[in-house]
Amino acid sequence: MFDNKSNGKIGSALVVGGGIGGMQAALDLAESGIKVYLVDNKPSIGGVMAQLDKTFPTNDCAMCTMAPRLVEIGRHKDIEKITLSQVESISGYPGNFSVTLKKSPRYVDESKCTGCGACVSNCPTRNSVQIVEKEKVELQPKYAEKVSEIINRHRNRKGPLMPILQEVNAAYNYFPENILKYISQETNYPLSHITRIATFYSSFSLKPIGKYTISVCMGTACYVRGSGILLEQFREKLNVKVGETTENMLFTLKAVRCIGCCGLAPVATIGDSVYGKLQSKSIPGIIEKKKVEELQYAQVNN
Amino acid sequence: MAEKKRIELMVCTGTGCYAGGAYQIIDGLNKELESFGLRDEVTVVATGCNGFCGQGPLMVVIPDNIFYGWIEIKDIHHLVEEHFLKGRPVKRLMFKPPEEKEPLPLLSDIPFFKKQLLVVLRNKGIIDPEKITDYIARDGYLAIERVLSSLSPKDVTDEILKSGLRGRGGAGFLTGKKWEVASQQVKTPKYLIANCDEGDPGAYMDRSVLESDPHSVIEGMCIAGYAIGSTNGFIYVRTEYPLAIKRMRIAIEQAEEYGLLGKNILGTGFDFEIEIREGSGAFVCGEETSLIHSIEGNIPKPRQRPPFPAQEGLWCCPTVINNVETLANVPVIITRGAEWFSSIGTETSKGTKIFSLVGKINNTGLIEVPMGLTLKEVVYEIGGGIPKGKKLKAVQTGGPSGGCIPASMLDSPIDYESLQKAGSMMGSGGMIVMDEDTCVVDVSKFFIQFTNDESCGKCVSCRDGSEAVLEVLTRISDGQGREGDIEFLTELGESIKDASMCGLGQTLPNPVLSTLRYFKEEYDAHIKEKRCPALVCRNLIQYYIDPNKCVGCLLCIKSCPTEAIKGESKYIHIIEQEKCHKCGQCLEVCPPKISAIIKITGNELNNLVQLTEIISCKEWKKDHEYS
Repeated sequence: MFDNKSNGKIGSALVVGGGIGGMQAALDLAESGIKVYLVDNKPSIGGVMAQLDKTFPTNDCAMCTMAPRLVEIGRHKDIEKITLSQVESISGYPGNFSVTLKKSPRYVDESKCTGCGACVSNCPTRNSVQIVEKEKVELQPKYAEKVSEIINRHRNRKGPLMPILQEVNAAYNYFPENILKYISQETNYPLSHITRIATFYSSFSLKPIGKYTISVCMGTACYVRGSGILLEQFREKLNVKVGETTENMLFTLKAVRCIGCCGLAPVATIGDSVYGKLQSKSIPGIIEKKKVEELQYAQVNN
Repeated sequence: MAEKKRIELMVCTGTGCYAGGAYQIIDGLNKELESFGLRDEVTVVATGCNGFCGQGPLMVVIPDNIFYGWIEIKDIHHLVEEHFLKGRPVKRLMFKPPEEKEPLPLLSDIPFFKKQLLVVLRNKGIIDPEKITDYIARDGYLAIERVLSSLSPKDVTDEILKSGLRGRGGAGFLTGKKWEVASQQVKTPKYLIANCDEGDPGAYMDRSVLESDPHSVIEGMCIAGYAIGSTNGFIYVRTEYPLAIKRMRIAIEQAEEYGLLGKNILGTGFDFEIEIREGSGAFVCGEETSLIHSIEGNIPKPRQRPPFPAQEGLWCCPTVINNVETLANVPVIITRGAEWFSSIGTETSKGTKIFSLVGKINNTGLIEVPMGLTLKEVVYEIGGGIPKGKKLKAVQTGGPSGGCIPASMLDSPIDYESLQKAGSMMGSGGMIVMDEDTCVVDVSKFFIQFTNDESCGKCVSCRDGSEAVLEVLTRISDGQGREGDIEFLTELGESIKDASMCGLGQTLPNPVLSTLRYFKEEYDAHIKEKRCPALVCRNLIQYYIDPNKCVGCLLCIKSCPTEAIKGESKYIHIIEQEKCHKCGQCLEVCPPKISAIIKITGNELNNLVQLTEIISCKEWKKDHEYS
């Protein structure tokens, strides 16, 4: 590619971000003879991986993976590290471009520093605890009362999180972000833990769902009796993908695993009503009927 | 208990019948009985699942033992008047075996019930699950009384060990052994968990046990708790089973009220409490270590064993996890003795097993049969064969972890070892019957999609392996199969088995491996000939209108969502293959008398008459009548 000077490409590259991916990219490029500028906005390269003990899913030791690369980059003559820098602008085209970097001061002369660590251990503010003030979450009164009632009821039992989440989900059909934060604040479970649980189970949702959930059973018995076609039909008629909600917030389409009505296969449920031995030709009628009912309901209430 | 009435109507209110409107039927019955003035003579009982779900909503008339199925609201008036007032049973509503003229009035004559042996489901359809007195009247809570008054925990464990009872959740570990390990642990407290996270699609026996006889599970749990020295029990139920949860809740309340649960049971000083925990829709929670994590409120991912839960489980305490069906066996073993129990079944598999017999079968429902019965007996005698005279292709057992057993192996007995040898497994007891219209590639794809969705993501082999298998299967069913795909699937399947940590991953490739073993030629047809012999895989089939049969009725044209059919009234319709989405609507609306639309696969289209211009039916007939 370097012979190809006629198209104006120049043999150097810029790698933005000095994490494990950036380091590997820089090394690979440098190995193939390209001059590399490795930019990172932190004081040092290494990225998040330096903070990890083990990596998923192989449980490899993180440091063992990255240490050789760190050393290699430090000593490679074709890699130029530019730390504490941000990319401001890029101009040109692939293969020939200019980049403007904004470099923050380090207050340490890099050429003289040997990395002995003495300044770090002598820094007077290093070992003082830096408390980040947590923002207190306040819920709107209409939520607060119900949610705190649920939390208080389960607070003292062992393993309270699941029952709390289940009841909150039953009350609101989904988890508004604020409520999750509130549960975290009240129960002292980290928000990350709660979010992981809230996203693991299929009956929890982080997005609001429609008034009626259409669940098409995709259990084996229903499947061999053609529930796949039913699902397709619902999808076409409602014009949503599985797991999505129609724009009018009326229907959410879901595929569920066996509701245990195999005798009625194929089965779908809409809200609380069960439709057994369903045929795809009756689907448009069912949806229309629900819509009309809804309209009447709205009119009565107005 | 209420006074004995002249007639009792046992109306099934299991989930299947409930969905079919069983409670409306009960209301209707009560209303009609009222209007005929029969309320004092006839009583309506809402029972748990009767088992014959394919006939629901249904009821059994006691003491005549007459079975009525597919009851509709409009039938009730006639039924009450004819049968309960005038004493003439209504033939129209009785069970009629297909291809026979005369119905079978008596429950005991119906082949579906004849071959069954009810141990766990001994009370199904006989008691009202919401009344503890009904259960007690059927010798309920006798076992716990005997255990607490005369047996030591070790006696109980020995008895269960001697009976040869094995876990009904799938793996088939000896229940007594598990209890023994837990009872030897020093650490306290100990916990007992009843696993009712029945995630296998097409299986619903645990739900049925909880719905029809919740007290037998409670009693079993108390006995297990006593044997291992635990005072706290949990029942982990899927949230998809609201009725089971409700009935269990009622049963626990009643048992506590009667002093059969809670503190100081039967005045013996033994305490045992049961708490219900709900799942929230994650298949992997059926795995014991995941289930423990879920109760603890952690991410429900499995962990490495050992230590086994019996040594270190819930909150790091010794925990026994038994399947609901296993626990429901326990009271019977105690009252009737280990010898009696071990006399049922085969050498290594004792007792009975509940299966949900579903899919392409005449008698859909829940059955309990002694171990060792052959698949043939189950499918043809109990199940009544395949509908519409189709041919049986395979029986799938063990849910997504199991495999397909081909029709040629129907004589193999049903027990843990035989099924394993056939490349499948007992699993929790789903038995899905497939006929010749079922495509094995499609079914494998379905199961892998399921496990791929439900994989927790902890092990790469399961998470990414299922993805890779799914990709290949999708390609094959799309007609993009390549030479070498079968070898790749086999190799990948074996490595996923070896490298995964929990049962989900270890058994995930089974559906593919077992179908590859028995139906290789069908995979070959997909890959090499781009044909789907069962006419299922969308990209490999076409719809075709037989000009000899089409009468030009316009029905299919009206139903086609993509306007792929052209034609006019009384003119032969033609499907334009390029526009066809293959949704199958046209096939469904074509009147059965005419059935001009057929599915074809591969290059069969080339051998058929392909019309390009629409011509009138009359003209076509004239041309072809004598040729």
